[in-house]
Amino acid sequence: MPSISTKQFGIVQFAEEDIFEFPNGLPGFEAEHRFLCIERPALRPVVFLQSTVHADLCFITLPARSVDPGYELEVAAEERTVLGLAEAEAPIWDHSLACLAIVCLPSEGAPTANLLGPVVLSRETRKGVQAVRDDCRYSALTPLQPAASERNAAELSPVGKSHAERLAEV
Amino acid sequence: MLIIRRRRGESIVIGEDIEIEILETSPTQVKLGISAPKEVTVLRSEIRTTRDVNRAASSADPDKLNSLVEQIRENAVTPEEPSSKNSPVVVPDNE
Repeated sequence: MPSISTKQFGIVQFAEEDIFEFPNGLPGFEAEHRFLCIERPALRPVVFLQSTVHADLCFITLPARSVDPGYELEVAAEERTVLGLAEAEAPIWDHSLACLAIVCLPSEGAPTANLLGPVVLSRETRKGVQAVRDDCRYSALTPLQPAASERNAAELSPVGKSHAERLAEV
Repeated sequence: MLIIRRRRGESIVIGEDIEIEILETSPTQVKLGISAPKEVTVLRSEIRTTRDVNRAASSADPDKLNSLVEQIRENAVTPEEPSSKNSPVVVPDNE
């Protein structure tokens, strides 16, 4: 079984068929063609998009609909080709396709998710593409709704710290 | 900003070797033909935005991950999406 060394998770074993191939890479990362989706039960619904080439390249993503429950995306012809979807086939979200928003977690400032350019993955063809929209309905820096407990930052920060330490140990 | 009025079939040139032709117009869209040297990157502006945001996201602060998860879970309107259906690689939490 192949394995990769990752910055966040240490050595991760995977099967070749777990890999999602991004024929075009991602904007800014055009040479990155192979990613793994990694989940950790304690961190669901976060999905980590880990490069299989560079240990330290790992995007944090969230299902687009967990950021905006009404999120809609039409997959354009160009992206359909990349994903290997049939021309007329209506995309079946949650079943054959996943739509993930890449999250920015800046050291300073609030987290945001990119709903302008979601990552679309086909579970059947194992292809992926970053489908950058050409309408103005969604922002690349969509703020995540603050949760009730988030308003009390003092209450949360110790949890964050200890978790970061746990993560470091893995 | 320089503003130029052009009709279908007309074009503008930028510098010596970039030419942009108006191919089609409709009430909501304009179709452009761009001739530029290979070394000139031509991108939709949304792709440039996404490129910049991708670069910023690639250096996420892992310390903030846990509070992000709490935030998402508290806001969840629908039950958790079974993204595990895509048979992801699940790394145990080591807890």
